[in-house]
Amino acid sequence: METYSAGPLLELNKAVPSFEDSGLPPVPFNMKLMPGECMIVEARDPSRATMFADLCSGMVELESGQVSFMGLDWANLQDRELNALRGRIGRITRRASWAEFMPTHLGIILQQLHHTTRTLDDLVAEAVRRSESFGLPGVPTVSPSLLSDTDLTRVSCVRAFMGQPHLLLLEDPLEGGPPELYTSFLSSITEARDRGAGVIWLVRSNAVWQSYRQGITSTWRLADDGLVAVRMA
Amino acid sequence: MSVSQQTGGPNTTPSDDEPDLILQTDAHKPAKRIPVHEWIRRKLAWIGRLVRRQARFFLVVLGAGWGVIFESFRSHAWRRTVRYEFVTTMNNIIGGGVSASLFAGMLTGVAAVSQVIYWLGLTGLAKMTGSILVNVVIREIAPILVGILLLGRNGMLSATELGLLTIGGQVRSMQSVGMDPFLMLVLPRTLAFTVAGFTLGILFSMSSLITGYVMSRISGVITNPIWTFLDDVAAAMSVTDYAVIPLKFIMVGFVVGLGGCLTGLTATNEDSLRTLLPRGFSRGMLIVMMVSVLFSLDL
Repeated sequence: METYSAGPLLELNKAVPSFEDSGLPPVPFNMKLMPGECMIVEARDPSRATMFADLCSGMVELESGQVSFMGLDWANLQDRELNALRGRIGRITRRASWAEFMPTHLGIILQQLHHTTRTLDDLVAEAVRRSESFGLPGVPTVSPSLLSDTDLTRVSCVRAFMGQPHLLLLEDPLEGGPPELYTSFLSSITEARDRGAGVIWLVRSNAVWQSYRQGITSTWRLADDGLVAVRMA
Repeated sequence: MSVSQQTGGPNTTPSDDEPDLILQTDAHKPAKRIPVHEWIRRKLAWIGRLVRRQARFFLVVLGAGWGVIFESFRSHAWRRTVRYEFVTTMNNIIGGGVSASLFAGMLTGVAAVSQVIYWLGLTGLAKMTGSILVNVVIREIAPILVGILLLGRNGMLSATELGLLTIGGQVRSMQSVGMDPFLMLVLPRTLAFTVAGFTLGILFSMSSLITGYVMSRISGVITNPIWTFLDDVAAAMSVTDYAVIPLKFIMVGFVVGLGGCLTGLTATNEDSLRTLLPRGFSRGMLIVMMVSVLFSLDL
């Protein structure tokens, strides 16, 4: 992955999301995420957190302002460019994201198969390595519906970190997830940041990230009055 | 206990003799006359809304159909994921539908031939069996029956799968990581249905023709070898038939696949299996019949 270093990786510049489209408060959102940074966004409402991640991915219509990723305004891009750029985002979402008709192993590497020309062997090797690091015995080949919630959380992590994404939008997998996931999750975040990836970690509770607080660049709260910076004590 | 007692007695309720001022005002208000041009405008708007709502799916199918054809000629559209979905869907449709198509073809051949033998025998034209089979079974019945088989076996499945993905949010999740559902699902599935429509249609036709020959041979109407029978069938086909018959199979597959996928992708949060399945079936039947009629018109 070539490191993006020509300015903010993700920038919300007075972006006012459409309330009808997203349910997010229609107030200006301002935020900058530089390469290698890790930002905590505290959102009590999980659906609002998902919508905020959608906003960062250019999926939410704006009333005004702009959201730029890697220096490119989502609003000015054509479909092909939009999709190519979104292919550089790794995401863990609380929204349903596994198709029933597709086996899990294929779901894990699907994004990479679609957006890159990496060989299948290479992708499988990475999927196996990441699956093992997240505590799975290998890459699950059964249907996602046959996996337990814990294993589904693990494979969601595997999928998000696959292929060295530039931006990670992580709706907290640790809350309610297995405790042993903690170390592998944090080490994957650190590894991604060392490569120059930006991380937005959406949490419901502050307790989750406290042991990683020295690695956090900034903390924000998603409230009714928009995105509010929180001073780290 | 009376109602008045239950509600606290007559002293606590408003008196019936007391007129309600608001209702009285409304009652005495003269009916407002709507100007004629306004009345016409409202009626036209109502008709427009109705037509637009009814024609919406048709317009979506037209647009998406063009999109599928256009994208299928672009090399970058055929990524690994699209090729995988195309091959998987095609294998499912053809692999699962071969026996059903052959069996349906046999039954159609038996039914059609027995009728043809009976009626042509009465008029002394039993030798025209091959020609009648081509004109009735292959050109008219086969595309409709193959379309219904495709719709029932796989079209409804696609409508349901994509509908549940749309309602469940998986389609939006795919979009959020740059995977376009049109490219990933609609394009490969529609083209797989197209190939399968042609393949199953030809198998169906061959099955009905051979069964027709066997039935005719058993009943003694035809004494020629099968090669002569097939030669008669080929001779009974016009030059146009060679283009129209395959085109009908191709189009039926195309519209069934496209209709199923679009029914699924246009599902809303208010939809469920109870609404998706009947809608998918009625739309599928309608477009199969439309294609069949369209190609049968002697324009």
